[in-house]
Formats: sequence, C-alpha cells, structure tokens
Amino acid sequence: MKKIQYYISALLLLAVASMSLSSCSEDKLGPTIFPEVSDDLDPNSYTYDLDKFLKENYLDKYNLTFLYKMPDVSTNMNYNLVPATYENSKDLAVLCKYLWFDVYDKIAGPEFLKAYGPRIILLIGSPAYNPTSGTEIVGLAEGGIKVSLFKVNDLNRFFNNPEMMNEYYFKTMHHEFAHILHQTKTYPNEFNTISIGHYDGNNWQDRSEGQVASLGFLTTYASSEFREDFAETIANYITMNESQWARIMDLARRGWVSGDEDDVASEFFCYYYYPDNDATQDMKYAYMYEVIDETDEEGVVHHYLRSNRSIVVYDVEDKDGIDGVDAINQKVQIAREWLKTAWNVDLDELRQEVQDRQKSYNIADLRSQYGL
Amino acid sequence: MKKFLNISLLSLVALSALTLGSCKNEVDEIFDDDAVARLEKAQKEYYDILTDKGGKWQLEYYANSNEPGYIYLMTFKKDGSVTIAGKNEWIGRAMGESLSISTFGSETSLWDVITDNGPVLSLNSYNKFFHLFANPEDIPSLSDEDPDETGYGHEGDYEFDLMKYSGDTLYVTGKKYGLDMIMTRVDAGVNDETYMNEVDSMKTLFFNARIPQVYINLPNGIRWIVKDGASSILKMFREGDDEISTSEYHNIIITHDGLSFMNPITLDGYVIKNFIRQADGSLLCRDDNETTMTADLLSNVFAIKTFAWKADTTQIGGTFFDKMRAIKSELNDYEKRTLIGIQISFDAKTTQKYQVTFSCKKGKNTFNPTFYVDLEQVGGEQIKLKYTGEADAAGVIYAEKCPSMKTFVELLGGTLNMTSPSLLAPVEMKLSDSGNTANYTYWKL
Repeated sequence: MKKIQYYISALLLLAVASMSLSSCSEDKLGPTIFPEVSDDLDPNSYTYDLDKFLKENYLDKYNLTFLYKMPDVSTNMNYNLVPATYENSKDLAVLCKYLWFDVYDKIAGPEFLKAYGPRIILLIGSPAYNPTSGTEIVGLAEGGIKVSLFKVNDLNRFFNNPEMMNEYYFKTMHHEFAHILHQTKTYPNEFNTISIGHYDGNNWQDRSEGQVASLGFLTTYASSEFREDFAETIANYITMNESQWARIMDLARRGWVSGDEDDVASEFFCYYYYPDNDATQDMKYAYMYEVIDETDEEGVVHHYLRSNRSIVVYDVEDKDGIDGVDAINQKVQIAREWLKTAWNVDLDELRQEVQDRQKSYNIADLRSQYGL
Repeated sequence: MKKFLNISLLSLVALSALTLGSCKNEVDEIFDDDAVARLEKAQKEYYDILTDKGGKWQLEYYANSNEPGYIYLMTFKKDGSVTIAGKNEWIGRAMGESLSISTFGSETSLWDVITDNGPVLSLNSYNKFFHLFANPEDIPSLSDEDPDETGYGHEGDYEFDLMKYSGDTLYVTGKKYGLDMIMTRVDAGVNDETYMNEVDSMKTLFFNARIPQVYINLPNGIRWIVKDGASSILKMFREGDDEISTSEYHNIIITHDGLSFMNPITLDGYVIKNFIRQADGSLLCRDDNETTMTADLLSNVFAIKTFAWKADTTQIGGTFFDKMRAIKSELNDYEKRTLIGIQISFDAKTTQKYQVTFSCKKGKNTFNPTFYVDLEQVGGEQIKLKYTGEADAAGVIYAEKCPSMKTFVELLGGTLNMTSPSLLAPVEMKLSDSGNTANYTYWKL
C-alpha cells in the first residue's frame, strides 16, 4: 500500500442560532445533573505516576489534558484505530515536554503556550490509514484545541531515529501549532503568491518529493494549499537537521522530468543517459540512487551509472521556470519575520533549541528525571 | 376542496392540542432518576461487577464473523489495570513465532467503564496480545493468497457495550462492529496459563484432522455432517443432502468446557448454541440436553481403509498379553528375532483385504509377516477380525516358526467390544473380548 502522510486541520465551526423561546412558566435551575469529578489523583491507581506527571506538567501548567487512555468515541469512527501502549504513552509524555513544550517556554516565554497552546493532546497507538486513497494521517488538529498524535506504538522504534520521531510526533505538533498561530494572527498574503498556480489540492499525494522541491515546496503535502505550505515551512524548518535541509535544497535546485507525462502519479527523474553513450538512441532516465558522482582534478563533477561506469549521465534541464531554492528561502523568510513581529518568537533560535535537544536527549535519563 | 378543509381542520386541532400540551409543567415520572444519574449508577454497578470476587472473567471473543472465536481471560483490578491472557496462533505470531503455533501470552494494560449511550467496557491502552485483533495493519499470511488488509486488520473491537448481567454472565456487544459476545466469571484462584492450556487441549479432543467428519445428532434422528472441525469454521450439511450446494458454514469457539457457535444456529427446527463435553468425549447440547455431537460409529471409524491402527503393546491384557509374550519368546528362539510392533490396516494395493502385520527385526533386517482378516461389523460398537487362513510369504514362514502369531490373529476373530476415550475424536480404541473384557488390546492411529 502506498502510504502518503498528511495532516488534517479542521476549524471548529460554532453555529449560534438565535431562537426566541417562550416558556409558560419560569423554571428555576437546580444543582448540576452532571457527576462532579474530583481533581484528586488516586495514589493507589496503576497509572498514578503518569497521571501526577501529566497533572503537574500539562494540566496545571497549560490547562492541557493529555489523553493517553483512548476512548474510541473520541476519534473518527471511520478509521480502525487502537490505543497507545501505557509505556509508550509515558515516553511520549516526557518527550513532548522536553522537545516541544519546554522549547517554546524557553524561546517564547512561559505565558505563550498558556495562551495559544492546544488544550487536548490525544495519543493513538496505530496509524490512521485510509485504504481507499492509500493515505495515512500522521496528525490531526481540531479547531486549534485538540491535537491527535498517531502511531504512538511505534515510538520505541524511533528513539534512535529523530527523523521518524519528528515525522510522526514533533513535526506534527509544530505543524498544527503553526495553524493555531496563523488562525489567530494572519500571516502576510505575500506568502500565498510565491507558489501560486503550483498548488494541487487533489493530487498532491501523487507528486514526487523532488518535483515539488523544484517547485519550491518542502514536502508534497505543502504543495496541497497555501495554509498547509505555511505550516509545513515552519514545521520542517524547525525539525529538519542540516543534512536533511541540504538534501531538500539539492532536490530543489535540480530539474525534474516525468517518466510518463500522461500519468500524474508517474516517477520523476533528474538524470538521463544514452545507452552505449550513443546520443542517436532513445534517452533513458535514472533514479538518483542509480548514479554516482566523480570529481576530476579540476574539480568538475561527472555523473556515471552505478551499474556501468562507462555510461555518462546528464542532469535533466530545469524547465519549470521556478528557482525552487529561492522560493523556499523566501517562504522561510516570511515565516521568520512574521513569527518575530506577530509573536516575538525567533524562528532560528527555536530551530537551534530543537536541534540541540533532539541531538542530545536520552530517554532513560528523561524517564528517571520525571520519576516515570 | 372538502378534503383540504378536513385536513386543515384536523391539523388545527392537532396543533391546538400540542400548544396546550406544551404548557403542562408536570412530566410523567418514568424513571426515579434523570438519565445522567442512571448512567452514572450503571457505570458504577458494572465497575463493581467486573472487579467483584477477584475480577477474573472469561471472554468468548470474536474479532469478526469470518474467523473462529478465541478465549481470553481478563482479571480486572480496582487500580485500573487488567491482565489479559490468551493462547492462540495470533499471539504466537505477535511473539515472533514464524509458524502458526498456538502460544500463551499475558500482559497487563488498562481498563475502565466509561459512559457513552450506556455503560461501556473500554480496554483503553494497547495490550499486545488482545488489541492485535483491532490493529489496522496488514495481516501476515502463510498462504500464497495474501490480500492487503492495511487499514482494516481483523476489525476486532476493544470497547464493549455492557448489555446485561445475569448469573455471573455478562452479555456484551462490540461497540464498533456490533458482534455479541459473552463474558463468564471465573474463579479468581485459576491459573491463567493452566486454564488456557486446558482450553487449547480441547481443540484436539473435539476435532482431529484424521477424523474426516463428525455428526450432529438431532433428537428427531436426523444427522448433520460436520467437516473441517479443526479449522473451527464448521462446514455443515444434512446427511443425504448434496454437500456442495447445501453446505453452510458456522464459526465456533472452543471453550473450557465445550464449544459454542458464534450465533445460535437452527438445524431442522432445533436451535443450537452451546455444547458441553461429556465424560465419554462426546458433546451434548446445553440448550436442549438432547442433541449430541459425535464421530461416526467406532466400527465405521476403525474400518476406514486409509487408517493404520498400531497396537500399544504397553496396554494389552489377558490372553492377548499371554500370546504376545509367547510371540516374543518364539521370535527369540527363531534366530534371536524381536517384535517391534503390530498393526491393523487395509491392503489397498494387492489383496483388498484387512491385514494384521507383525514387524520383526533381526539385526538390521526387518520382516513383516502379514495375516489377512475379514473385518466384520457385528453391531454399532462391535467387530470381528476373522482370520481368512491366508498370509503373505513371510506370514506363511512365521506361522510355522512362531505359531503364536497365528493364534494371536485368531483371537482377534472373536467378538470384540470397541471403546474410545473420545467419541468425537476416536483416534485411540480399546478392543476387548466381549466374553471376557480382561482380554483386550489397545490401538492408536
């Protein structure tokens, strides 16, 4: 199954209907009919340590409920989902604090998340697959209130793989938080003009990473629409390490060609060659991994087929008319200025703090530090 | 126009009645409490039921309608934890077993009784031995046909509407997929692994792949043939009807004391759901105390021509024992030969007769003197294996050198009572002399 990952952000629509109600007599309100729930934690509970940690670090601090016991009714019943394991819930609770909440506290000040942070984080153990479209939801934000994180049961496999951990959890949270912020204070409209005409809301999942980078998008999902592009720009700039960023820039400066122009989901290539180096024959395309680079004495880089080093390989000409690197840099600059002016948040400081923490954290130490 | 007027008048009267009614402040009291209070009360009641008496329950779990059911033991604790234990091949796979090996697994996770439209048992943290049936990942398959179930998985539930409690039985319904299931209270002192091993061993007691079919015997004398029992998805058709066009399929669950169909089935007007294992190894329907499930007559099973029954020489008594001892002695006198085994089978290649074969060994050489018999079914559970007087070449020689062999075969020609420890999977049989049951032999497939 081809898995394309994306986020869903839904605006909470509140419809207030004015109704003139008339009552035949005036009813007095009695005491609440709802059960009164105590805030006190039960020290005999199996989950007391985690519940105490969540109360002190999320509920009391940010008025945020961290839901790790998954009631299916809290999710979209069209998906088959399972709860998170208790152990992974503990680890993600600790990591969310260290790699996300503490970062914003440090860079933007402790009041920032109190005012704008999400109010519910819901952990879900499995991915949310959509079998009919072959897509997979990696994050879900509803009305800037609730953020759902999926695939939590794979967390322990990602401890040594920050790229995957970001992909499923922290990039998701930065992405969704970016939505919350721009829904509160609008970003400059200039951002929407940079890639205008190149968004594809219907077929973004069929696009290739190299193709969209060349068009000025950091991810395929960013190429779906303006707002997702804006959130993806911020989230990826913060979480991508230097080598990941350099790779995207490399893809962005290349030319790309479709292997089959009649098929929107076809592969895209950035190299071509002629069989037997004979330019009279039909050209063939090569994937990046099929090509090796060799630098000669004068510093010129030559490309050859990995399977046959006598075959010279050429770069595909960049014909889209877009400087992908420049477009991405423009978008980052707009996001940088907007975060500074609208929110007094330094994007580069935020990025550096995240990068430092994700390089150096130790899950066992964090568990121990918080008594979990 | 008149019709219109009538309708208008009626509407006016109805509207007036509604308008007047809306000013009535008094509401008929149907329930003592409001809905929320009643729901909260039910929530607490079910919480107490689940944790009472040690909190151990057996769940007859069905993930979907196309798979057999699986037994799980759940021990609910008041601290919010639940220990879930099971033994099945899916647990084996979750533990890394590459083949379909039924494996025991137990893990502690979390539970709660939550409220939705009613009280709901929610197993709300992932338990790797239970929630595997709800995981939406592709199901690994050992067969060549491997459809992609990504996004679906088994589609099993892990939240259950608590429908009814009666006599230490909880009737629950899967919240998302709506399958009805039963939870039964189990003694808190039961050891989970021992219990699950006992359930697992029931599978081979009920359905042995070597017994091709068993029967449901209805009180009216009609029999239904049951095949594929070992798969726990029973193929069933009325005896005498066409197997291909009339077969129906029903999935079952093997329980600690018998088996149950996922849903009640109706066979010729008889409604059947649960069978309880009896002392003779057969199954008796708990719903009517009349319908049984048995294999074929023992004499018919013994006569199946593809079978080879091997004598258990450690379980042999009376004159049979004496003759076997004599055989061993005579073989020893005949150039130090030894008896390896005795077998009854059908010679489909040459003679088309049943045969009694003695396996003997001298040094590295093996000899198989064979004596031919006619199998006669005397009654339902009685046979005679009458020696025809014929033997193969080795048999002719051994009849002379070791005359007790022939005598042993002749003893089998008397009327033999047949018994088996399991009437449902009679892969072991005792043949005893009807005149003196102290004379017996024991045979295994």
